[in-house]
Amino acid sequence: MEKSAIRDPGFYLMIAIGLAALFIGPLVVDMFTIMQVTQYVVLSVFALSLGYIWGFGGILSFGQAAFFGLGAYTFAVASINIGETTIPLILSFLLPAAFGAALGYFMFYGKLSDVYLGVVTMVVTLIFWKLANHTAGPEYVIGKARLGGFNGIPSIPTLNIPGEPDAWLDPAQLFQVFMAILIAVYVGLRLLIASDFGRVSIGIRENETRASLLGYDVRKHKVIVFSIGSGIAGLAGAMWATYQSFIDPNAFGMEMSAKALVWVMAGGVGTLVGPILGVILLQWLTLKLGMMELLNSFVVLGAIMMALVLALPKGMVPTLRGWALTGWTLARRGRGAARAKKPGEEGGAG
Amino acid sequence: MTEVEGYKILRTRGLTMQFGGVTAVDNVDLDLNDGELRCLLGPNGAGKSTFFKCLTGQLTPTRGEITFKDQPITGWNTHDIVNLGVGIKTQVPNLFNGVSVYENVRLASRRKHMPAMAREIAEKMMEKCGISHLARREVGLLAHGQRQLVELAMVLAEEPSLILLDEPAAGMTGDERDRLAQLVLEAARGSAVIVVEHDMQFIRQIAKFVTVFNRGAIFREAMIDDIMRDRAVQEIYLGKQANAAA
Repeated sequence: MEKSAIRDPGFYLMIAIGLAALFIGPLVVDMFTIMQVTQYVVLSVFALSLGYIWGFGGILSFGQAAFFGLGAYTFAVASINIGETTIPLILSFLLPAAFGAALGYFMFYGKLSDVYLGVVTMVVTLIFWKLANHTAGPEYVIGKARLGGFNGIPSIPTLNIPGEPDAWLDPAQLFQVFMAILIAVYVGLRLLIASDFGRVSIGIRENETRASLLGYDVRKHKVIVFSIGSGIAGLAGAMWATYQSFIDPNAFGMEMSAKALVWVMAGGVGTLVGPILGVILLQWLTLKLGMMELLNSFVVLGAIMMALVLALPKGMVPTLRGWALTGWTLARRGRGAARAKKPGEEGGAG
Repeated sequence: MTEVEGYKILRTRGLTMQFGGVTAVDNVDLDLNDGELRCLLGPNGAGKSTFFKCLTGQLTPTRGEITFKDQPITGWNTHDIVNLGVGIKTQVPNLFNGVSVYENVRLASRRKHMPAMAREIAEKMMEKCGISHLARREVGLLAHGQRQLVELAMVLAEEPSLILLDEPAAGMTGDERDRLAQLVLEAARGSAVIVVEHDMQFIRQIAKFVTVFNRGAIFREAMIDDIMRDRAVQEIYLGKQANAAA
């Protein structure tokens, strides 16, 4: 059942947790951890982009990295040329969103089925990856920015305060800005999903035929959803570029697309909290396992992911939610039964 | 053949749908008056559902023309045809399984109306179809007969001028079927309706003028009593069932 974002207490809890991390985090945690968490924040925005189009639009994209990389390169090229970062950050949303709309137009108006959609998005990612790798020569220059091929683009500016190109953010401030972006993306998506547009998207996810038989233009709807997801992925790419102050073609890599799928799947398709939890858990595990020398960390990580998918096929958040709901119902039923035993009293309402 | 003269809301000319070598709909000329209730009979595989799919743009006919409200709609997109005023209940209900009954019906009425009005219409239609008590239930968990009623409520919530019902009585209990017959008769007061059905008891409750399909083509068009007496029709389709019902 669809719950309005405004009535759901979980929505406010998430915002509260986010704001607490934003304001209190930098005061109580050391700088190394803050920088580590900043990375999770960026990847969470990326995971949300896929969590939205997959979970609430029924679009399974194997090439979300195409937009992530596009956003990263857009930010890098624009910020090096312009010399400040506010406009590049906006561009890194708009350009991938426009590209997503164009690609989506051909895919959805061409009535591609889900399997081919997966193939096309994957191939587009590979094309970008190949293309970016082949721009090593000095002739591949956009304004002041050399694309650098497989060497990537170095010395990408850190975010500055809007209007003050020389006022760069320190790592704690960067964390706070990124956290604010994550909260904004989360709130924005929740409101969008609760709106009539979002409800129709969910309808399309559930049954495309019925949606069109009610008179909704499924193709147009999907293009819009896909484009919004592409823009958010692009924004995450820009955050990644400025956080690392370096970007190379691996931003377009298959690994990036695959990771996004795993985060969303592990956290739970059809939720927004799930993808964020997926990022935190799996990135933290990757980090911890990387320090271990006894076994190959990838083998262990793979085994954990397989166990996770087998044990919780719906993902962490829906499973936990299900348990909580069952527990609550049982508790209520228990109370109802206890009351029913007393003579002259009605049983608890079901 | 006695046919009522009047404004033809739907007209097909030479409508043909071929799948490879199979002709599922064969050169169908059908006229439907505004506000008419028409029953479409025919054995399994006679092309009734394919005919419906051509009318709603889910299939693009191989040949022929469809005119709805004086507009040639052949080859149009489904949503454009629907927005012109066609509502369809498909043979296997097409529903939004993961969401509530109320949300299903509301999405249907929301297409044309502002939120407050859409809510009101959704509630009214659920009550009409006797599914108000199921409003908060997830559609995917309902029984087949209940799902039929949900889809019917959705179609009625669209307030279409042409209603297509593909086997609406399938999977319903006796009471549900009687209620359905009343609903169909009531809907036919405001809209043109075409009903495909096999349930003869149900047909007898609602039918007047009947079109019989066989092998994709129109086999007979007559009043229900004449159809029931027609030997050739009995042979292709009704057989013992008609005798039993009589």
